[in-house]
Amino acid sequence: MAAPSAPAVRPAAARAPAPHPPGASPLRRGQRRAAALFIVPFFVLFAVVMAAPIAYAVWMSLFQERSSGLGFGGTERVFAGFGNYAKALSASGFRSSFGHIALYCALYIPVMIGGSLALALLLDSALARAKRFFQLALFLPHAIPGLIASIIWIYLYTPGLSPVLDWIGALGGSWDFYSDDHVLTSLVNLTAWQWTGYNMVIFYAALQAVPREVLEAAVVDGAGAVRTALTIKVPMIASAVVMTVLFTCVGAIQIFTEPKLLNQRGAPSIDTEWSPTLYIWKAGFVQHDYGLAAAASLMLAALGIALSYLVTRLGNRWKAAQ
Amino acid sequence: MTRTSRSFRTTATLAAVAALGLLATACGGDGDSTGSAADGKPVTLTYWTWTLGAQSTVEAFNRTHKDIKVELTEIPSGTDGYSKLANAVKAGNAPDVATIEYQMVPEFASQGNLIDLSEYAGETVRTKFPQSLQDLVTFGGKTWTVPYDAAPQLYYYRTDLFKKYGIEVPTTWDEFKTAAEKVKKQDKNVRLASMPKNDPALLAALSWQAGAKWFSVEGDAWKPAVDDAATTKVTTYWDGLIEDGLVQSYTGYSPEETKARTSGRTLSFLGASWSAGGMRTAMPDLAGKWAAAPMPHWGTPASGNYGGTSYGVLKGSENAKAAAEFITWLTTNKAGVEARLADLESPSSALPANPEMREVAAAKFDTGYLNGQDLYALASEQAETIVPGWTWGPNQMDVYTAVQDRTAKSDFTSGVRAGQRKAESGISERGLKLAK
Repeated sequence: MAAPSAPAVRPAAARAPAPHPPGASPLRRGQRRAAALFIVPFFVLFAVVMAAPIAYAVWMSLFQERSSGLGFGGTERVFAGFGNYAKALSASGFRSSFGHIALYCALYIPVMIGGSLALALLLDSALARAKRFFQLALFLPHAIPGLIASIIWIYLYTPGLSPVLDWIGALGGSWDFYSDDHVLTSLVNLTAWQWTGYNMVIFYAALQAVPREVLEAAVVDGAGAVRTALTIKVPMIASAVVMTVLFTCVGAIQIFTEPKLLNQRGAPSIDTEWSPTLYIWKAGFVQHDYGLAAAASLMLAALGIALSYLVTRLGNRWKAAQ
Repeated sequence: MTRTSRSFRTTATLAAVAALGLLATACGGDGDSTGSAADGKPVTLTYWTWTLGAQSTVEAFNRTHKDIKVELTEIPSGTDGYSKLANAVKAGNAPDVATIEYQMVPEFASQGNLIDLSEYAGETVRTKFPQSLQDLVTFGGKTWTVPYDAAPQLYYYRTDLFKKYGIEVPTTWDEFKTAAEKVKKQDKNVRLASMPKNDPALLAALSWQAGAKWFSVEGDAWKPAVDDAATTKVTTYWDGLIEDGLVQSYTGYSPEETKARTSGRTLSFLGASWSAGGMRTAMPDLAGKWAAAPMPHWGTPASGNYGGTSYGVLKGSENAKAAAEFITWLTTNKAGVEARLADLESPSSALPANPEMREVAAAKFDTGYLNGQDLYALASEQAETIVPGWTWGPNQMDVYTAVQDRTAKSDFTSGVRAGQRKAESGISERGLKLAK
């Protein structure tokens, strides 16, 4: 968590060559052995929990289970080449799930990142009181597992059970959290509630590293609190912002628990293929089509990698422009 | 997905428990059931189920059998449970015995998850069960599972509130509609019944009752007809009732549905023989206020099967013979049936498929909750009216989800059309033969 608080150093300085270029002072054999000792566990774990499963998924994605006639004579595994990839891409459910996620991100990321940034700046301002308390209180929702959080919010969303809806009704209004128009905001509300506090803590930590003399200079120059926050503090924690946007994007395309529960509670427009992970889950565990599930998973992973690259590139450009 | 007796179980809490359970079993697979009767040690069978009364049944079996020991694990019902079973088969740590609903038998058998039981239980199934139920567990000339219960549809209603609103128990769907109008006119917050959009098994049962046949076998090919004329008659009827606001449409088996029943906002519901078992735990305060009646029909008395369970042996089991013995005891032995109803916490009200066992169950069932009504006599009568010739499909779960997804967004009629498309594409994709 503390890593992003380093950006006090300007990016240009960070890119300067290291004082001792690698290779200038060759490692002694003993040192090399010690280095290997530290590195090997990483590669072993990486191979076992990352590389091997991915390779296995690639292998699985190339096969399909086929039966014949009525199907009671057993199944056989046949090589399908890219058949599973074509099947996933031609499924309208899989394609539209990416559209749903894009819409979700378009609403969720600005609301959540903007919200946590605003809260962090408020907490960091000279006027804030009881900072410790608010830090903890705002972080608390993140300590609740996503599943439990979903259950709590679904309780508040469900007509007939929800006290919130009873109050709205008592005031003469009406609201349907599950209707096609509102379900996206209901979902964003749920996830933003969980993650705003978490990212706020990251931003707040980064703000602590902003040098006091810079802020004092701003005050001497006549900058008000808002001006200081927007033109001094925000650019100085740009690295933290880019990093959280990156993590949020990668997390958002994998959203599963919240739409799954909303689907079970009968939100009509959240169907069983609403997000890519729901589609994959259904392919694997309802249809028992492991090849299709593997192919779709790999495509989702590829999207995640592409998105990370894009966010990092755009983020670096933004930081450089500050 | 399909609901049987425990109405509370789709609550989100259970989802949490299910998720935890999945983790726990993923970590500690039960391994091989070692030993056989030959070396003198008892055979240990693993048994996964979600049915009511399972605990007392297993205890009774273990008390009376020296050579076979059964270990029970409770799993979630519906999609989650079947996923768990199918994954366990793939992972090689499947239980020996599991509860498989009729609607899942063709899918499970054709995906290679079941052991052919013809050798061990074929004779039992042929001699002890009605033809209509044999048809649901026999495919390709092989016996895949052994039936436990028949699940004729039943109509449950509040006697006190029917009196209050001056309503006669409807016997046909026309009368049902008239009654629904009458209730709505008297109180705008109260409805005769609720029709869930997320329970395709109920829709299937209602279609079955109307004479639909979602799947049939032609030679060596499957012929799906999920949107046939009889089904469309049913979906049009319910779409009309929902559009006119004559029935509610709560999420099935949800807390809000139960709350509407307990608070008197829903006067009746469409259930089956097994529903009574869950009512006692879900609505304890309403004891004595409910009664059961035959399901309203389309002109001639008829019923579909709403749910209904059988027992199968899963692929990978090394104890198929002992497993078949346990299953035979469960389904056709007096002690097995009695134990299931004797469970103090969650007694079952399932109607055994074997006619002899029906009397055993009827004698044991506590009729207190239904004000002394003889539920088993009624259910047995209704079981006779189950329309023959129904077959479940080889990709039933997938068809259900397609129906459910589409229905949630529009109506039942578009739902079954989507189901038909999915049935056809699913069958072809798996290399199965589709009748033209």
